[in-house]
Amino acid sequence: MLEIKNLHVIVEEDGTEILKGVNLTVNKGEIHAIMGPNGSGKSTLAKVVAGHPEYEVTEGEILYNGEDILELDPDERAHLGVFLAFQYPVEVPGVTNKILLRESYNTIAESRGREELDPLEFDDYLAKKLELVDQGPEFLDRAVNTGFSGGEKKRNEIFQMAVLEPKLSLLDETDSGLDIDALRIVADGIKKLHGEDDAVVMITHYQRMLNYITPDYVHVMIGGKIVKSGDKDLALQLEEKGYEWLESYASVNGEGK
Amino acid sequence: MSKPIKADKSILHELASHVQTAKNSTLGNIRENSLKELNSTRFPTPKDEDWRFLDLKPITRSEFHPVSEAGIKPVADAEQYFIPESENSRLVFVNGQYSESYSSVKGLSDKVIVGNLAEHIDHPAAGKFLNKLAVYENDPFTLFNGAFFEDGGFIYLPKNSRVKDPIQILNLYTDSEKPFFTVPRLLVVAEEGANATIIEDHIGTGDNKYMTVPVSEFKVHSKAHVHHVRTQRDSLKAIHVSRPATYIEKNGEYHSYTITLGGHLTRNEPMVVQEDEEVDFTLDGLVLIDGDQIADTHSILDHRFSHGESHQLHKVVVKGNAHSIFNGKIFVRRDAQKIDSFQENRNLLLSTNGLVNTKPQLEIFADDVLCSHGATIGQLDPEHVFYLQSRGMTEQKAKEVLTYAFALETIENIKVESVHQLLIDEVKRYTTTELTKEVVA
Ligand SMILES: Nc1ncnc2c1ncn2[C@@H]1O[C@H](COP(=O)(O)OP(=O)(O)OP(=O)(O)O)[C@@H](O)[C@H]1O
Ligand SMILES: [Mg+2]
Repeated sequence: MLEIKNLHVIVEEDGTEILKGVNLTVNKGEIHAIMGPNGSGKSTLAKVVAGHPEYEVTEGEILYNGEDILELDPDERAHLGVFLAFQYPVEVPGVTNKILLRESYNTIAESRGREELDPLEFDDYLAKKLELVDQGPEFLDRAVNTGFSGGEKKRNEIFQMAVLEPKLSLLDETDSGLDIDALRIVADGIKKLHGEDDAVVMITHYQRMLNYITPDYVHVMIGGKIVKSGDKDLALQLEEKGYEWLESYASVNGEGK
Repeated sequence: MSKPIKADKSILHELASHVQTAKNSTLGNIRENSLKELNSTRFPTPKDEDWRFLDLKPITRSEFHPVSEAGIKPVADAEQYFIPESENSRLVFVNGQYSESYSSVKGLSDKVIVGNLAEHIDHPAAGKFLNKLAVYENDPFTLFNGAFFEDGGFIYLPKNSRVKDPIQILNLYTDSEKPFFTVPRLLVVAEEGANATIIEDHIGTGDNKYMTVPVSEFKVHSKAHVHHVRTQRDSLKAIHVSRPATYIEKNGEYHSYTITLGGHLTRNEPMVVQEDEEVDFTLDGLVLIDGDQIADTHSILDHRFSHGESHQLHKVVVKGNAHSIFNGKIFVRRDAQKIDSFQENRNLLLSTNGLVNTKPQLEIFADDVLCSHGATIGQLDPEHVFYLQSRGMTEQKAKEVLTYAFALETIENIKVESVHQLLIDEVKRYTTTELTKEVVA
């Protein structure tokens, strides 16, 4: 589903290189976790896959279902089923959740050749999705993330994911900022949404999320590269030992921090 | 105050030769005094601080004719501009002239007066306030209006009267063979405890050139509450120079919302004067301009007594080569303590060729006041655009949605449903059409 090959990425504005040769393959039905120290490039990777215009790919490729998507705009990628749950969801005053979701749902439906839902059908559809994140209908009439608590913002991202039904979900620290109950609700929601036709990439710092959602693969990113991959046990090892023992892997290649 | 100068004759002075003698003595006096003063008041130039940024050539390099000589074409389908809530509380003026057939005021209680000023010129309230409130120093435009007006809106709200339906003052400007000028006039007197909502519309029905110079005067007596919505949808070739002045007495409230959509050149100078303690007023504005439109708002909020609360949110969106100017003067006089005044001018600049000048101007002579003010000029936040795009909206759609959201805040407080809806549609139309290509984020 997703193949990232030798991906090098710079910040367009000042030319700083952030990703220095990332390789990652994600297949249908899989759940991947990416871990790694602050500033190692995890969010950058997720944003580049989603098409953020701030970054420029200087080398390598991103294939989605076998096709190069680097030239596609973020909305075109969303239409193909790419979804990014932001580490820092943006507050958009004046645009309600409902307006955003109706607009998004309908354009995505249209691009996939599905019927648009009429307003009543859409309300029913939203009501079901709200249950998944345990939120009341008042959530819909609030301006997108405006004045939301940190936890509410994260829930809102998963709510949007539930409504848009993406094929490839990149969840950037969706677990951070959630209280214990909210973490369970959100994790349950993600599990329910995940099926054999879609894939999930979770960026996280903590094992606790992985206790709910068992990843098929765990990757460690350091200094703009994936330096080690393994199964769920790798996350446990990291929890115990931190990242220091891995830093040598990064520098062996001469490019680590 | 500068000395009156016998300056070069401007177009306003030349046009003043068309002034005719009034039949009525009250009007005659106003006319005579206005003319006299006009002749000793010079036309502004860019050297005047208050006219620094405004290109006046659209006025000075044009010809304008009296309505009677301009080859006026009949108004097409005036009914489409009637708001349903004002079915029986509506005054219509076509090119400044009262239209009895389009007007309808049968829904009002007998003591409330909504009618043509020319017919109520001898009403005591007219004698007391007409031409006494719109006091703009060294301003030829107010005087120009004073020298010409005859018809106009007259609204008299007796003590404790509550007008349930909004009153629509509809100014229509029709297509014409030659450019014309007109001077709409409005006087609103709200006696103690009265309560009303007034919708003042200025609408160009063609795409012709004309110059309208409306002057309106509002007197809000003690405990009276007046809501004033002013929408301006002039033709894109029109000149619109307006002077809305409001005076508020103790415990009075005045809330106004001015929406500027049309016009080639708009200069609006709202002035609100606090005449006693405990008043509350709003002077919000929304300006949406594109193409070669110029919209200039010079406002004055004059706090003369203690315990006043004022609110001014002026939002502007600029596309194309359009040019917005905002100068917000806030005066707090020496003895006016405990004033709580909020002013914010937010500009959204959506094109590289657009231009925004903004200048808050606080003159505070009292010490116990709370004045917050701010002015921002910005573009759409690229993070916002990316967020919406990542949810499937095209870049264009994301920008439309964000622009719409930006503009919406200023019309949320307009409680007349059809007007609110109309403005939402207008905002949508503005965000989805372009008079000139090229949009940057
Ligand atoms: N637009 C940008 N301009 C400048 N520097 C950037 C930009 N985006 C990312 N960086 C830098 O790139 C590095 C990687 O950032 P990124 O946000 O991808 O890290 P991360 O692995 O997600 O970290 P965290 O765990 O703290 O979220 C950081 O040093 C960051 O400051
Ligand atoms: Mg991050």
